[in-house]
Amino acid sequence: MENRYQRHIQLTEIGTEGQQKIKKSKVLVVGAGGLGCPALQYLTAAGVGTLGIMDADVVTASNLQRQILFNENDLGKNKAVVAQERLRQLNSEITIKSYPFALTHENVADFINLFEIIIDGTDNFYTRYLINDQCILSKKVMIYGALFKFEGQVSVFNHKDGPSYRCLFPSPPKVGEIPNCSEVGVLGVVPGIIGMYQATEALKIILGFEDVLSGKLLCVNLLNHSNTLFNFEKRDTEIKKIKKLKRVIPIENKDCFVDFEVSLTQLSSNEKIMWIDVREKDEAPRITHLEIQEYPLSRSITSNSIVQGEAKIIAFCQTGLRSKAFVQKMKNKGIKNCFSLKEGASELNDWGRKI
Amino acid sequence: MKIKVRYFGQIKEITGKSDEYLVEQFETVQSLKSFLKKRYPELNALNFKIAQDNKIDEDSSHLHGTLIDLLPPFSGG
Repeated sequence: MENRYQRHIQLTEIGTEGQQKIKKSKVLVVGAGGLGCPALQYLTAAGVGTLGIMDADVVTASNLQRQILFNENDLGKNKAVVAQERLRQLNSEITIKSYPFALTHENVADFINLFEIIIDGTDNFYTRYLINDQCILSKKVMIYGALFKFEGQVSVFNHKDGPSYRCLFPSPPKVGEIPNCSEVGVLGVVPGIIGMYQATEALKIILGFEDVLSGKLLCVNLLNHSNTLFNFEKRDTEIKKIKKLKRVIPIENKDCFVDFEVSLTQLSSNEKIMWIDVREKDEAPRITHLEIQEYPLSRSITSNSIVQGEAKIIAFCQTGLRSKAFVQKMKNKGIKNCFSLKEGASELNDWGRKI
Repeated sequence: MKIKVRYFGQIKEITGKSDEYLVEQFETVQSLKSFLKKRYPELNALNFKIAQDNKIDEDSSHLHGTLIDLLPPFSGG
């Protein structure tokens, strides 16, 4: 399409030469959620030559309020795969790759090495620190974005040997210390705006613009429109630790629960499942068509009160939050094969009725 | 010297306000942190950074700024 990038080319700061740079660029977006969706749309529209999308999650109803690449027909489908399909309709001239799985210690080097710029669209610290450490080792730029309710943070890490996320926050918070969107909620447009800031920084870096958010943390408050730009310095001791180790620093607490969350769409009706309700006994709805064991989270459980058999143990609550805490407890007690249900009790009740 | 302290993200919910003025004197960033942790004990469970006059500073730094910001890490994506 001849005129596709005309409005870019018209800018003296970009021109045909700049558009060529965009075409040659390679950007990986980790997490096709609230931040990833708008970033992906603008980068696709801008003509980023190679775009990678990584997300292990499936689209759920509560995503649709802000994850604008998805629609009602996508429920239960993998986000990376759906995003790839949608974005191809927007721009068929670029290469878009989908990776429908999570970033882990094992695969982080392989995937980050394929790209130049990594956009952090994750909702957890486990993956954020993985990206940060690997970007230092592989000399890649990380574009950070994160949110809390009506506020957002944006920064650029490891740009031209600049500061990293660990220079701001040397070690990850404990599980449960900092809640994410699924736990506290977020105004839908907030990730939209922050994701677009991330796409803007990516394009500026590709084009070689000087004034990027390296060594700067932009804090955006959309309730009162007070944007504050903070400066921060590189901490060589933090960066040297990673370089000396030659691999990402292991993180004990997996706050993203990659391995222990499960969605109803991933379960088959003939699977042996031991359902555990971790809600209080007076919470509605009660589950009517499935056999349920009740272990309210407020009560303590002894390690042998749950007998582990062949069945997969799946804990649930109203929103998937307390069940996560329960699974963490079980893991700490050495109980394996235990998962947290992403959906809540009412969705499970509907699912139980159908099978 | 009066200082203005602003609270971001979750810290705003812990303190119940978006900012306040302090008239107390503090030597270092750390001594201000300790004072705030005593006033708002829930801050003890939280990892946060302090910026003075828009520069994020180490705990050991001398407290010289008149605008202080408390910045927690954000998660959500």
